[in-house]
Amino acid sequence: MAQPPSPAPTDQKRESFRKEALVHLDVLYRVALRLTANPSDADDLVQETMLKAYRAWDQYEQGTNAKAWLLTILRHAFINEYRRRIRHPETVDIDAIEPFAVFSEVQDEDPQGAFFDRIVDDEVLRAIDQLPEAFRETLVLSDVEGMSYQEIAGILGVPIGTVKSRLFRARQLLQGKLYDYAVEMGYIKGTPA
Amino acid sequence: MNCRECVDHLYEFLDRELTPELEREIREHLEDCPPCSEQYDFEELFKKFLRARCRTQGAPEELKKRVLRELFGE
Repeated sequence: MAQPPSPAPTDQKRESFRKEALVHLDVLYRVALRLTANPSDADDLVQETMLKAYRAWDQYEQGTNAKAWLLTILRHAFINEYRRRIRHPETVDIDAIEPFAVFSEVQDEDPQGAFFDRIVDDEVLRAIDQLPEAFRETLVLSDVEGMSYQEIAGILGVPIGTVKSRLFRARQLLQGKLYDYAVEMGYIKGTPA
Repeated sequence: MNCRECVDHLYEFLDRELTPELEREIREHLEDCPPCSEQYDFEELFKKFLRARCRTQGAPEELKKRVLRELFGE
């Protein structure tokens, strides 16, 4: 009996790309949105990332870490083609930013951090968008997308120690911003950071 | 393990990035130390809060269609 014809190489490539790459479209879009801060640029960045990834799909070792591989492509595309155009160069010296421990401010009044629950999505995203880029991308990859320090170090091309210190300061800075907002809105008494 | 060491490693503990031995030491310290344990709960809640607030959005349907069209002509 004749064997059914095996799928053409193009079909196989499409199928594996669907299964391993296209399933990460939501992650790529969320990260792109935080990097570009603009839905239309985020769309274009994701589109371009997917085209580049599909062209380079033969170089990707299947079954490894497609999410990290795609995010690395996305970040390179962002740096090379978008960053200069859409964001003003940052003048912030991220090493000079003083960490602020929100927990010690609120531990008497609200040690459970219940005030955070009153802050809506848009406000949180706005606060993230105000973080310096190096902090923002690290925090999003870790806290929002659940990547490991090692994966983040690979995507950003920095040592793991740098990921740790950026993450530490990013979280403190973001907590500080959200705390200030909560004080302003009267969700918590406190004193602004 | 003292409080200082515990707090220094709190984020790595939260992110499950420590060696099993260090993880066990932190866990034991947290069980015996209410202030550190309170701080850990606060940071854990913040992490969950961020994830919940920031993952509601996914790629728009139109973008998904556009990607499929560009890649596969669908």
